[in-house]
Amino acid sequence: MEIRELGPEDLEQVMPLERELFGDEAWLDKTMASELENPNTYYLGVFEEGLIGYAGLSTIPASFSSDVQTIGISASNQGQGLGRALMQLLFDRALALGSEVLMLEVRADNQSAIALYRSMGFEQIDLRRRYYQPSGVDALVMRAKIRQPIVLGIESSCDETGVGIVQGNRLLANALASSMDEHSKYGGVVPEVAARAHLEAIGQVLDKALFEAGITIDKVDAIAVANGPGLAGALMVGIAAAKSLSVAHEIPIYAVNHLVGHVGADVLERGSVQLPTIALLVSGGHTSLLLVRDLLDDVELLGETIDDAAGEAFDKVARVLGLPYPGGPQIDKLAASGNPKAIRFPRGLTLPKDMEKHRYNFSFSGLKTAVARHVEKAQDQGLELNQADVAASFREAVVDVLISKAVAACKEFGVNRLLLGGGVVANARLREYATEVCEREGIELRIPRFSLCTDNGAMIASLGAQLLMNGREPSSLGFSAESTLDVTEVQSL
Amino acid sequence: MLLAIDSSAGTSAAIFDGETLLAHVEFEDPFGHAENIGQAISDVLQHAGIRAKDLNSVVIGRGPAPYTGLRVGMAAGISLARTLGLKLYGAMVLDAIAFRQQGDLVVTTDAKRGELFYAKYEAGVRTQGPEVMSPEEFFVPSGFSHVTLSCNAEMVGRYAISALASGVNLSDVSALYLRSVDVNISKGKRVTG
Repeated sequence: MEIRELGPEDLEQVMPLERELFGDEAWLDKTMASELENPNTYYLGVFEEGLIGYAGLSTIPASFSSDVQTIGISASNQGQGLGRALMQLLFDRALALGSEVLMLEVRADNQSAIALYRSMGFEQIDLRRRYYQPSGVDALVMRAKIRQPIVLGIESSCDETGVGIVQGNRLLANALASSMDEHSKYGGVVPEVAARAHLEAIGQVLDKALFEAGITIDKVDAIAVANGPGLAGALMVGIAAAKSLSVAHEIPIYAVNHLVGHVGADVLERGSVQLPTIALLVSGGHTSLLLVRDLLDDVELLGETIDDAAGEAFDKVARVLGLPYPGGPQIDKLAASGNPKAIRFPRGLTLPKDMEKHRYNFSFSGLKTAVARHVEKAQDQGLELNQADVAASFREAVVDVLISKAVAACKEFGVNRLLLGGGVVANARLREYATEVCEREGIELRIPRFSLCTDNGAMIASLGAQLLMNGREPSSLGFSAESTLDVTEVQSL
Repeated sequence: MLLAIDSSAGTSAAIFDGETLLAHVEFEDPFGHAENIGQAISDVLQHAGIRAKDLNSVVIGRGPAPYTGLRVGMAAGISLARTLGLKLYGAMVLDAIAFRQQGDLVVTTDAKRGELFYAKYEAGVRTQGPEVMSPEEFFVPSGFSHVTLSCNAEMVGRYAISALASGVNLSDVSALYLRSVDVNISKGKRVTG
């Protein structure tokens, strides 16, 4: 016996059984065909020398609810527990999709089915008179609750100590402590400063997250922690905290990829993750372009920066202009009154010769040098420097390269979705230009709220929850901090 | 029940019932703190035959010690104590090493970068340190013995039990780095000649 997912190609096998089981209440071919091809449905078939049973689930994204569309076992194979087995698989699927309830309708005269559903946790919540036609039989509307797991996630890969708590696809808490102010006097993130700050903050941030979620830790079903990529010494603080919580509270632990966490943050914003998507992650530590076909199993790195991260370039240029750290907001403010076309700064890795090797890679160090050269030249020649024009032109060069490459990836891979993440998303021009270009190109642009874009614990919790909801095994206790963790490694075992 | 955690040298955990050591687990790898901390706590609970919720208090070795490893044990102890609502104490590891040593002594441990962490004890009382010392500055005064041991959770636990019983305040649970973050603030270089 084999149970597998059904698609439109199985219609010819499904319809004879549909008619055998449901007689004159059977669905029409076209109804079944549209069910089988609907991206929001999930149909399973049981095969033993042909199809002997099937069941279907419908889940509208972000509705937190699933419906059992149909379930049927051929007459000669009933009474073997196949119906229960199929229903259990629908439950598993509904859990994985973040549904908190599973609904169904059943004929009021089908006592054996009603008994089965009751035994699986369904309760009658409504009665629909004469629902089935032409027989005129009533339908019971039944509902089962699905308890989505509560996961606490810890993030400490750079300068933010984050503890987030989610339940399934819902955000419960997102507590944060940042050491950004301490780094400002150095003009950039100092790893030892960040790691010291994590240790000082971790206890309070844990308390804050639990308070915000209104739960005690014994309600938490699993711990998730970012184990890379990031600053090793900083990551280790979060990892140590996470491991001790896992052991002390006897709950599983998931070591997850920080970068994929940024993609997973969108689950919390929308209640579901819509894939495939191109993801552009830009921060002070990363500039990465990803193709995500499946959040847990298929994340591909299309390109990344070969020198400075985009956020780093903002910091360095801010310093050249005598502006304080962090540079992004400073340059954004100054650029507002400048002319972005005043100076044509170079766009790194966009020349035809770069396309073969660096099609989706980024380079910002040449741009930073060009800005410095421009500023020095003006100073040397005693010319008045229009700082606003420099800031606006620099910002335009960064934004242009980032969005152009991301949109090119959308087109090349036929993916009409672009997700932005990372702290540089706070940049007003980046959001504006992305919106403009995506509208023109017919690409769906998604930008989670800022607190989910910057490094945060909730996105780590969310990715851990996805792993748990999809039945993945937890990580072992011995995993390491991986400062250069590959983006394809969503979970470290 | 007291859980002691120390990652100033290797990664270790110990459990005491009163003054009795129930279990001690130590991973010696000086670079495997983040990897071993979970297993150390898990194993020590198992060997002691108790669950974390049976604990009353936690003591962590707060250094001085190489920073990256030190923080691992401390972060674990802080998180565990916080979420279980346990009392949390910090022990200076040179005090733990000096504990129950006879006579006057100086204690040193490796501070990396060619330097030493140093403390001096006379008749069981610390009279100098903890501080960072270069090997050139270091000497053993006459009549003193020189102790250079690696600390571990058993030593931290034994010291803490005795210190708490005699009223020593171990409430400071901040890390003892003894060096500030040494970063040169770049003023920015010219890119044109």
